[in-house]
Amino acid sequence: MNDEATGRADHDENTTDFGFTRVDRKAKAGMVRGVFDSVASRYDLMNDLMSGGIHRLWKRFTIELSGARPGQTILDIAGGTGDLAARFSRLVGPEGQVILADINAAMLEVGRDRLIDKGATGNIEVVQADAQALPFEDNSVDCITIAFGLRNVTDKDMALRSMLRVLRPGGRLLVLEFSKPTSPLLGKIYDQYSFQILPAMGRMIAQDAESYRYLAESIRKHPDQDTLLGMMVEAGFAECRYHNMTGGIVAVHQGFKP
Amino acid sequence: MTQHDPAVLSAALAAAETALNQAIALAPHSHQELNTLSGTLLGVDITSLDLTLYIELVTGTEIRLMSHCEREPHAFVRGTLEDFGALATSDDPAATLINSGIELQGSSASLITLQQVISRMEIDWEAPLVDVLGDVMGHQIAEGLRRFFRWGEGARASLKRQVSEYLLEEGRLTPPKAELEHFYDAVQSVAMRVERAQSRIEKLLAKAATRGTSQ
Repeated sequence: MNDEATGRADHDENTTDFGFTRVDRKAKAGMVRGVFDSVASRYDLMNDLMSGGIHRLWKRFTIELSGARPGQTILDIAGGTGDLAARFSRLVGPEGQVILADINAAMLEVGRDRLIDKGATGNIEVVQADAQALPFEDNSVDCITIAFGLRNVTDKDMALRSMLRVLRPGGRLLVLEFSKPTSPLLGKIYDQYSFQILPAMGRMIAQDAESYRYLAESIRKHPDQDTLLGMMVEAGFAECRYHNMTGGIVAVHQGFKP
Repeated sequence: MTQHDPAVLSAALAAAETALNQAIALAPHSHQELNTLSGTLLGVDITSLDLTLYIELVTGTEIRLMSHCEREPHAFVRGTLEDFGALATSDDPAATLINSGIELQGSSASLITLQQVISRMEIDWEAPLVDVLGDVMGHQIAEGLRRFFRWGEGARASLKRQVSEYLLEEGRLTPPKAELEHFYDAVQSVAMRVERAQSRIEKLLAKAATRGTSQ
């Protein structure tokens, strides 16, 4: 399978995917930042409208899979507006720690304000960080989650290796991400929705159709279930598996550090 | 884990969890009893639905429902939906647990306590109704609901008593409870004697086979 089809970073060229267009690898992070700067303030509202609230159920199941216990350290990468971090904060308790990390300062600012409003403070640290070069010690984290963030990372293999380094042996990675519908009929309906309805909703609610068109396109360029599973194995994760949700529109991949 | 779509299962569990926690919030008398069960984890496998779920009593005011849990539950029960329905509505959960088709692993104490707390739970509908409808209207509707539930409870108890009396005394269609328990004890005793006899026979056969090979 070539890189175009799998959505994996192209190491031979200096370009990478930004939605359906090819852009300079060095420019992608800035362009993604531009998209999220634009949608940050209404990100959760748009997620609710776009998914009919189902993204909360996808995240709920991801939290169950995390097996988070009191005293653990959880790193939520691309945690944006902090909804996973708020729930982890309760599960790990005062003796545990949650690190909310995101490359985008605007998203982190929204997340930090929201966590304070929810009273989720004390055991949460907010860090601006690049998933490809995580600024944390080796073997320092019990569980890493990245929800709807991996597809925006320029070099996904590098990011997976960075996550493996930070995890403690036995620690787990959970990647919640849009994926490939298992039924062709559902796939067609989903395409119509993504490329017709989603940008229209973006235009109406966030006055920003282009950013939401990018979100839809980036989902199509993201590796499918089995490709991402292979990437995790290649990065060094063990006991890798995935669970399809809502007919494969979303999948949560799980892998452990040996 | 079950083969249901995790998102569908999460939706059902999230709805049930919200309803349960709201009911608990409106039943302050149950908080202390539930608090004694804090930290308890129960696993429930409903075989007829191919569904496994976990119930965690987080605090006296919060229950968490999960479709996936890696911790060892304090009690794990397996049975059909009908079995669990009978257990949930039973006046004597310990007897129902023994006599039904439910399989139990671990301690039954927390399960029985939870069933009793939930069945005794008295939900105070007045507070949320007053918040929405105002003092007068809210109180009147809550009073109406209380009367309706009292009547329903009385009618249920009366119907149960009358049906029981008819079946036992007039129709003589079922034996009295004491007679039934005596019968179960007798069956249990026969079963144990048969088991003992079977093991003795197996022992004798093994002995005979050893003698046969040595000659």
